[in-house]
Amino acid sequence: MRLSLYSRFLLRQGNAYRAHGFHRQFPSRTFHASARALVIKPFLLADIGEGIRECEIIQWFVEPGARVEEWDKLCEVQSDKASVEITSKFDGVIKKLYYEAGEMAKVGKPLVDIDIQGEIKEEDLAALTEPGTGEETQIQAQDQAKEPTRAQIVKSTQIPEPLPTPQKVSSPKGKHATLATPAVRHLTKELDVRIEDVNGSGRDGRVLKDDVYQFAKQRDSAPAQVRSSPATSGGPQTETPTKFSNTQYQMFKSMTNSLAIPHFLYADEIDFSNLSDLRVRLNKGLAKHPVNELRKISFLPFVIKAVSMAIDRYPILNARVDTDPESGRPILIMRSQHNIGVAIDTPLGLMVPVIKDVSNLDIASIAAELNRLQSLAAGGKLSSKDLTGGTITVSNIGNIGGTYVSPVIVEKEVAILGMGKMRTIPAFDENGGVVKKQICNFSWSADHRVIDGATMARAAEVVRSFVEDPDSMVMYLR
Amino acid sequence: MAPSRGLLFRLRPSIQSIKSQCRRYSQFVAAATDPTLKARVFISQTTNPYLNLSIEHYLLQKTPADSTVLFLYANSPCVVIGRNQNPWIEVNLGVLRNEKLDVKLVRRRSGGGTVFHDEGNVNYSVICPTSAFNRDKHAEMVVRALKSLGAEKARVNERHDIVMDKGDKEGILKPFKVSGSAYKLTRLRSLHHGTCLLSSPNLQSISKYLRAPAKPFIKARGVDSVSSPITNVGVEISKFREAVASEFRSMYGIRPEASDSFLLVDEKAREVPEIAQGLDELLSDDWIYGQTPQFTFSTENTTTTADEPLTSAWPTILRECEIGFTAKHGRLTEVSVDFKGRVDEPSKLTLRKKLSYISSGPVEMKQMKSPLINRELHKINDWEEVLPPFSGTDGEPDVDASPGKTMNRLFGVGNYEPSVYVG
Repeated sequence: MRLSLYSRFLLRQGNAYRAHGFHRQFPSRTFHASARALVIKPFLLADIGEGIRECEIIQWFVEPGARVEEWDKLCEVQSDKASVEITSKFDGVIKKLYYEAGEMAKVGKPLVDIDIQGEIKEEDLAALTEPGTGEETQIQAQDQAKEPTRAQIVKSTQIPEPLPTPQKVSSPKGKHATLATPAVRHLTKELDVRIEDVNGSGRDGRVLKDDVYQFAKQRDSAPAQVRSSPATSGGPQTETPTKFSNTQYQMFKSMTNSLAIPHFLYADEIDFSNLSDLRVRLNKGLAKHPVNELRKISFLPFVIKAVSMAIDRYPILNARVDTDPESGRPILIMRSQHNIGVAIDTPLGLMVPVIKDVSNLDIASIAAELNRLQSLAAGGKLSSKDLTGGTITVSNIGNIGGTYVSPVIVEKEVAILGMGKMRTIPAFDENGGVVKKQICNFSWSADHRVIDGATMARAAEVVRSFVEDPDSMVMYLR
Repeated sequence: MAPSRGLLFRLRPSIQSIKSQCRRYSQFVAAATDPTLKARVFISQTTNPYLNLSIEHYLLQKTPADSTVLFLYANSPCVVIGRNQNPWIEVNLGVLRNEKLDVKLVRRRSGGGTVFHDEGNVNYSVICPTSAFNRDKHAEMVVRALKSLGAEKARVNERHDIVMDKGDKEGILKPFKVSGSAYKLTRLRSLHHGTCLLSSPNLQSISKYLRAPAKPFIKARGVDSVSSPITNVGVEISKFREAVASEFRSMYGIRPEASDSFLLVDEKAREVPEIAQGLDELLSDDWIYGQTPQFTFSTENTTTTADEPLTSAWPTILRECEIGFTAKHGRLTEVSVDFKGRVDEPSKLTLRKKLSYISSGPVEMKQMKSPLINRELHKINDWEEVLPPFSGTDGEPDVDASPGKTMNRLFGVGNYEPSVYVG
């Protein structure tokens, strides 16, 4: 009888689902299937102000088993003079109500149990756990634990997925790029390797044991830290706690912040044949008559310039996301200078020095600046001026290896380009004959809160056209 | 809003002289939902309390999320209980039903205590974004309005009520309440509404409506009313409305000479579907009585306080008769009646017939599978039908000592004399 009076609320919930046109069930083939059941969290009654410590539940709008979306009404509570509607912060299924209608609910204590079925932002984790244990659970959540199920939960709660689409399996964050068997994860922990760094050679980009070994070997080529070596046959497991170095710690902090950005991956194959020919010709010339001591030029300056030209057409790639101090709403801050960061692997670790104002530099100057930064980096002498102010980043992991990569966007930026290794493949020319082609894979990651697929695709096409046909850049020579 | 639409009027010194201004409800809806307007003033021309509350609720739900709205209204005489209150504790329902004054019983959607409204009391209602919500902000605004009209001693007290310091009978300055507030918070919008006693003619009789005879016997959760001595501010109603509207305008930056400075709302608003729906809900018994939180009534609770009229106490002659029940959503779920053998045989038989109880013992049955179970409390019109008269000690049914009659008195039903209900 009571429910019929408020049936319009129930109807509204039902209508919301109908509008989507699909059942609110996730496809059974996600790899989170078993981990889901473990994400039932108690949702705490938030502070309603005025120093009120408890309030009476007037009525419930949900019951155990009800599906809720973020912002659906859970219940109405009453404190002295105020009646307050409590809404849900998460999508999910209500599992348990802690109070009956008419009971006094305590502020700060669990109100309902909810089986969360959407993304959980870091700041919302606080609404779930008791205040005292807040930090604990967050650290646990970030710890790449040995148990694979825990690691899978970590992935399911940490990787912010793009806006919910019906096909969760094919969500393009490179799920498979970080997918690995427990044995491989164990190995990565042992070798102190970040699984995102390793380019997987397995199916769909999965990381295999060999990949990890290779990566670790290349990294270990400069003897920097004490590391536990791969287990030799026989002998027990040894664990050696190693503190983060400064650089590593910076990377840790920076990447943790990048977690808040919903990434989507856009990958493409670029034909480098024309650029390769051009480069060969240019280098011949430079060898004879160096320009500003530049004797050789690599591909990277061309790519950097192409990216800058794409930004001219799609300035949103150069922006950053911030919050408007007055309204508290997120806003986009557009930036005029193209400061392109270049990821460099140094003996100390990953560093991203920035080439400032690329749009006003010609390719030779870009190359010269690149050389300067690289030599500074090799000597560990990069200044903070070199390392800050970036607006977009290019990461040429292909220098070392890898085909596809899912790069992580740097804090305060909205896009990043990862370049794979250049390789020669057979292809067909217009007569049907087989020719050699030099290709390289560009993998873009972009912030899906601001950049949509179409914009990314168009910008990527601009870069591709300049790189595949470098002669066209001539039209924009100043 | 272009003036040429004829929709809105400039504020003139006497609002009352504006005639026949209200247009079709579609223009009201347009004004309420216009996203470009950051602040609006609405003034009601109806005194139907249910309609005014429905309009208020509609404004809460439909005005744009970042706008602030002021709604001013006055009601015909009614008693308004809070969202979660118990009418049998707060209100003397007998007086309400029978007095010639035709006082209505209303349950509002915001929390807080019970108040009495009449045409001398103006209600103000401010709806603003929840992020900007503050209990004192608009109370202070009304105090400024009162001060501008000459009520120097008005201020906001710690309970967020507006009080005026006045000399009482001995001349000592005491705070007298002129306005109480209640709030409703939803995700995006919050409502703060309050009363303001300007020139109520019923000041002396308010207390008789608000003293419930059944109160000492009922144990309930829910919010208790806090009673305070009240007084009239003593300013003219239209002047008060203008002053509040002008304070609101200066707070929110509407130019007073703008043609869209305020909008009048009248009976036609009930044509808006959401308002009509809300109105039906507020009028329904299910809302007014059915929303009462669980409570228990028991004649064994004989805690009477000094200011309870004697007639609400359980008569000593009936001391041995114990009646109790639990009510959920206004329905009796458990009932127990114990007459301790003080019912004569013929009455026992009629009782048996009426109550069809299963126990074959004397009339000390505890659980009556009776016509009372699951009945709605407010629908029980005569307790004498369900409860037989008590036997006096000489075996004769004592007609005066009728539990049914006393129950009628406590719950304000059956045949009675209104004077009996007032202490």
